[in-house]
Amino acid sequence: MHIPDGFLSTPVWASLDAAAAPAVGYVVRVAQRGFDDSKVPLLGVMGAFVFAAQMINFPVGIGTSGHLVGGALLACTLGPAAACVVMSAILAIQALVFQDGGILALGANVINMAILGVLAGYLPYHLWGRSRGRCAAIFAGGALSVAVSALMALAELLISGVRMPAAVLEVSLGLFLVSALIEGAITMTVMGALEAIQPNFVRQPAAGGRYALVAAGLAAVLLAAGGVVFASTAPDGIEQLARQTGISARARTLISTPFKDYEASWLGAGWPAQAGAGLVGLALVGGVCVLIGRKR
Amino acid sequence: MHHVTLDQWSRGASALHRRDPRVKIVSVLVFLVVLATAHRELAWLGAALFTVLLVAAWRARLPLAGALARAGVVLPFTAVFALVSCLAGDPARGAALAMKSYLSALAVLLLVSTTPLPLLLRGFEMTGAPRFLLMVAQFLYRYLFVISEEAQHMRKAALARGATMGGLAGSRARFRAAAGALAVLFARSYARAGEIHWAMLARGFPGYFRPLIDLHFHRGDVMFLVLGVLTPVTLRILIERLA
Repeated sequence: MHIPDGFLSTPVWASLDAAAAPAVGYVVRVAQRGFDDSKVPLLGVMGAFVFAAQMINFPVGIGTSGHLVGGALLACTLGPAAACVVMSAILAIQALVFQDGGILALGANVINMAILGVLAGYLPYHLWGRSRGRCAAIFAGGALSVAVSALMALAELLISGVRMPAAVLEVSLGLFLVSALIEGAITMTVMGALEAIQPNFVRQPAAGGRYALVAAGLAAVLLAAGGVVFASTAPDGIEQLARQTGISARARTLISTPFKDYEASWLGAGWPAQAGAGLVGLALVGGVCVLIGRKR
Repeated sequence: MHHVTLDQWSRGASALHRRDPRVKIVSVLVFLVVLATAHRELAWLGAALFTVLLVAAWRARLPLAGALARAGVVLPFTAVFALVSCLAGDPARGAALAMKSYLSALAVLLLVSTTPLPLLLRGFEMTGAPRFLLMVAQFLYRYLFVISEEAQHMRKAALARGATMGGLAGSRARFRAAAGALAVLFARSYARAGEIHWAMLARGFPGYFRPLIDLHFHRGDVMFLVLGVLTPVTLRILIERLA
């Protein structure tokens, strides 16, 4: 589910890049908290492990095999922030070295898989990891992480105006469900095997509610589910929906910003104006990132 | 293996290889944005940008056929969506998807195959990417080969002991066996990371990678930057004006 460049419309990839940059800055900062050097090789090698884990096939039916995706497993062993960092590094290497996923779409892929996917995968474990339903929580985490990533990707494609007949949509939703269940089963079995080898590998979820984490995880799940429902009602992309409901006409009079329609109106019309607005937006995001990433 | 070939290509000595990674990154980003935001005259624009990439690949003395084939790894994924678009009665969008994703992949491939990855990641530090993340990515790339080889050994050993994917009998047991293998791989990777850390401490690791060469802008880099930024932008303006 790595989205290549050229699939997402400019507002979609640009806003997701803008969202991904501070999100990655934040998880890096949390992962570095109580920083000791040993984390750098650990996270790097565990990233390589997730790559290599794809070579080990799991029989999932007659003649077919699945493999680990890894977001939930990493979150339960390294902690959610470190898992987000590892998954982001994996996506960056995949985009650069393996041409798996685009560079402009990297923000979208990072949000889908490294941030929301990992958070959604950790949520059940965080909530029920200490109770009797621990195994079910791990299973649900694995399944949720894949389901959320896939649904987010699907919603982004639909919003970008990639057309999909209803039949194709149903088939792909079915495939997502199957691969989510497979990931849940793999994550649960591997976690069991890990605990048998060395119980220390598996992190116990922190006692007490970390409300921010729960809220972020819940938001991830709701966003993915809501995104698909919303996007699938807009077969020609979001603009069509806006036109039908008349939102666009009202929104334009309501919100008259200097960058409406992603154009800097004072630069004239056409794509140089769009590019200008994009650059200003980029500078703003850059400023936010510098603020977040500043050494304490 | 795919990345081994890329690694060999990236250690060439052409004029393109010698350019500062930062100017190459900026040029590729401009190229990608120009391509991604285009909506008109896509056939002409695609042809023009493809020619630019071909010239760059030729100047970098990369094997042309190999590079074109390698960028084709995006095509299976793209083909599915292009086909779906055609079925939905919008073949133009399908063609645009295929063209844009292929050219973008080719541009990134050119960047990666003319810049060794450690240098490239140092270049990305300039864009404000967190250093911690880049260090993790660099370790990931370094140990990708090592851990993958370990996984391959384990797989070969399992096959030698008669592990198969086919048949329905004992499916549950085989699933558990695969999970066990993965857990062992996890434990080995974890232990290896600890050993790497000790080795780093023994060599006086200061908390960041010390670069052996400093990056400097030369006149060629500035010229390349101007050329790399202006070419796609000018081409697009010309094509959209003339059409």
